[in-house]
Amino acid sequence: MSIHRWILRVAARPMPREYGAAMEETLARRLAAARAAGTRRYWRVWCRELSGLVALAVTERWGARARAVRRAARRRNEQRKAGAMDAIVLEIAHAARRLRRTPAFTLASLLTLALAIGANGAIFAVVERVVVNPLPYPASDRLIELDHGAERLNLPAGMGNTSGLYFHYVERSRALESAAVYRPEELTLTGHGDPARLRVARVTPSLASVLRVGPALGRWFTEAEGLPGGPPVVVLSHGLWVRSFGGDPGVVGKAVALDGLDAQIVGVMPASYTFPSPNVDLWAPLQLSRAAGFGLWNYMGVARLRDGVALEHARAELKGLIADIPNAFPGDQFALGNAQTNLRFSGRTLKEATIGNVARGLWMLLGSVGVILLVACANVANLFLVRSEARQREVAVRRALGAGRLRMARYFLIESLLLSTVAASLGLGLAWGALRLLVLAEPVNLPRLHEIRLDAVTLAFTLALGLVAALTFGALPVWRGTDAAGALNESGRGNTLTRRRHVFRHVLMGAQVALALVLLVASGLIVRSFQKLRTVDAGFDPASALTFNVAWPDREYRSRDEVVAAHHAVIDRLSALPGVMRVSATTCLPLSGGCSGNTVRVEGRTYQGGTVPPLAFFRAVAGGYFETMGMRLLRGRTIARGDVARGEPVAVVNETLVARFFPNEDPIGRRIASNIPPARPGEAPTFTWLEIVGVVSNTPWRALAERDPMPQVYLPMSIARGPDSARAPAIGPGISVMTYVVRTATPPLVFTASARQAVSVVDATVPIAQVRALHELVDRSSAQMAFTMVLVAIAAGVALLLGAIGVYGVMGYVVSQRTSEIGVRLALGATPARVAGQVLRQGAAVALAGVAAGLVAALAGSRLIESLLYDVSPRDPLIFTVTATSLLAVALLACWLPARRAARTNPLSALRAE
Amino acid sequence: MFPVLSDLAFHIVLALADGPSHGYAIGKDVEERSGGRLDPTTGALYQALHRLADDGLVAPAQAPQGTDPRRKYFTLTAQGRRAAAAEAQRLDALVRTARKRKLFPQRA
Repeated sequence: MSIHRWILRVAARPMPREYGAAMEETLARRLAAARAAGTRRYWRVWCRELSGLVALAVTERWGARARAVRRAARRRNEQRKAGAMDAIVLEIAHAARRLRRTPAFTLASLLTLALAIGANGAIFAVVERVVVNPLPYPASDRLIELDHGAERLNLPAGMGNTSGLYFHYVERSRALESAAVYRPEELTLTGHGDPARLRVARVTPSLASVLRVGPALGRWFTEAEGLPGGPPVVVLSHGLWVRSFGGDPGVVGKAVALDGLDAQIVGVMPASYTFPSPNVDLWAPLQLSRAAGFGLWNYMGVARLRDGVALEHARAELKGLIADIPNAFPGDQFALGNAQTNLRFSGRTLKEATIGNVARGLWMLLGSVGVILLVACANVANLFLVRSEARQREVAVRRALGAGRLRMARYFLIESLLLSTVAASLGLGLAWGALRLLVLAEPVNLPRLHEIRLDAVTLAFTLALGLVAALTFGALPVWRGTDAAGALNESGRGNTLTRRRHVFRHVLMGAQVALALVLLVASGLIVRSFQKLRTVDAGFDPASALTFNVAWPDREYRSRDEVVAAHHAVIDRLSALPGVMRVSATTCLPLSGGCSGNTVRVEGRTYQGGTVPPLAFFRAVAGGYFETMGMRLLRGRTIARGDVARGEPVAVVNETLVARFFPNEDPIGRRIASNIPPARPGEAPTFTWLEIVGVVSNTPWRALAERDPMPQVYLPMSIARGPDSARAPAIGPGISVMTYVVRTATPPLVFTASARQAVSVVDATVPIAQVRALHELVDRSSAQMAFTMVLVAIAAGVALLLGAIGVYGVMGYVVSQRTSEIGVRLALGATPARVAGQVLRQGAAVALAGVAAGLVAALAGSRLIESLLYDVSPRDPLIFTVTATSLLAVALLACWLPARRAARTNPLSALRAE
Repeated sequence: MFPVLSDLAFHIVLALADGPSHGYAIGKDVEERSGGRLDPTTGALYQALHRLADDGLVAPAQAPQGTDPRRKYFTLTAQGRRAAAAEAQRLDALVRTARKRKLFPQRA
């Protein structure tokens, strides 16, 4: 037993003490029991127990550590599985708490980043949906616009198509798989609420095979409905269907009255179908006939290229087909005449035609918002640097306690990721709001506006921006490195910054100033352009006048005389209203496009075969038009009511026509005529000669800042084309639809109701449409520049704000870092003014460098902005000087506040704080 | 989830299932239940008990009045019960597999 006890003592040592006593007791009883069973058994048990104890001693001694390790590993494993998620959540919670403890920093960074990310997201969405995204038709890259120009007429494009040319292409072209032509029209809808003027697109039924989009309800037009004499059918737009028909699914098959004629509704298009423009209410079939010969340039067109055919190939083929016109239309004088003008096909891809010149401006806008993002990033980077340096001690302690580089990186990254995620979400919200505002504001020249929305790509882009921002800022403190030992050694708030850190921060500050300057210069240039544009003489007086359209339906007003009488009735009623100074009407207002045009013959001049007379626009007017419009009479007299009443064959022309047709002669008394083709091919043409009685000032036809003014001919409406033009010789535009101009003594829109009343007294079924103040024409013309200007100005403003904040932040930090030094100097006798002056000088030096860099950048990039300007040089010295000095002033102001703080430092407390 | 129970450990747990017990009684219980196959020495027995206590399956218990104060009583913890159940389930599954493979007669 004593051996057992000795070994037991040894063996039981690693085990808890109370076990030892228990083991002794158990062993004694076992041995006693064994002895009772016999000597043999006793010795056997004795030996077994001994070896058992030896084994225990050995395994307990040496197995302890292994067991402990196993136990610890098991515990860790369990913890890790349960706590992996918890650990990350914990870290995020810690990061959030750290951020909340420095509210100024957090708020400043959040707002700055949110603003920058939101702006970028919004502009990116616009660029992506308008410029980059393909049109919403299947295989839309195969779609092209059909358009022509005539070299000899100085028209590079924009003539459109004729019906004859359409048939010619459809029959003979192999490159075009399908083609369609269309023209806009307006019809009055009656029988569904107030009579309303609808915008209609008359299209050939082939449009469905070109665009490959079908109706949402019912069907599209059949080929039979596109032939003359086909049944009157229409297809509704989604908007009209909801507005006037209550979205009734049973609308297909119902009849609707348009301009007094009944038409059957055969289908409704889906909401997303907006060809040719988003405000089309109704589609009606265009009924063309080959018998009409070559035809007039009345139609716009669109076609689908055959698969595998490039646009260049199609152009070449169509060029050949155009050359073949004289053979295709034998004996057709009009065709011959057109062929002699050197016709060329000028169509572009439909996408290009839709987007127009907007793409360039939009990319520039994206660029400038990108610049803002850079400025914002510089700001936030500065803030992060400041913060990381303030926490150097904390970082150094952590490093000393064993946190590896990776761990520290994770520490900072989680913070910056958290910040960026929240900022990106805020930014997304801002972007969404901005896009809604944009769609509501409906800037006139932004195509595909209705397609703009926040989609998945923009979402991804915005989140990616946030991620990049997070990585940049998070990496900054780690990259800059921390000299652990040095940080721990520094007493209090460090005496001086190391030189490198100083320089880096000042470079950032200077960069912000430079970027702000670039944007300010751009903004200033555009504002100046806009000012100049607004002062361009429009040739008429746009103030205080109301305009609206009236259309007399052909079914009720069948002759020209009836139409003229109706117009006169309305004019008389309107003139009688109090507050109305003058009333008149025209077929085409200025700044409304080309309207109706034709080549002009001058009496007494012969034209060689093969030469083409120049082009002019013809406008029919009521008496007193020029006086109502406020146009200047330069020579002769204007068209009066009497001329209209008597149907005098007179005309008033504009300066450009005189310059082009009668460069060195007096045009008064000369006779001109519209070069109308004969009624039947082969006959001699008969011209209605008009005597020129007056010359008026030019009015722009397309845009305010117009480089290509067109000759214009004004004639009395009673000799223009009426509904019965087949019988009476007539010139130029049709007068069934005319635009009224009412010059008022008071704000014009007040007269809307009275105008409506005046027309309905004459005919209750006729509505007025497109009621506008005359100055809206001018506003619309400068709208695109106004839009760009507002955006760039906002960008510049934001950049300026951010730059000022940046400068203030940096200088403030510099001052706070050098408080003790400043305290010493003040204590040694320096005046506060000198101390402040030194801070100011330092800040000014950096700001100056930034301004200089900005000036260089602005000069270098001047060519980029040239296309957006009007009558302003992109290197305008006045703008450059003004912006540079104002920015410098703002930067100095931003430096002045910290400088003042430095000067007010109490030297005692500064030194004590060390 | 639970540490794997060795043969001896399982038997110890079985012995404690009815209530707390001390070293000698546990040893005798194990020997009887296993039909003499398992006859742990004192050292092996207490080593196993120590391990079970470390793993939390077994805990020291209050000794009843009037017994030898040197005796150390042990009781089964809730964790121990769960571990035993798990082990029993594992063994049951093995037996079922053996039955399926016709190594062990089906229940009558």
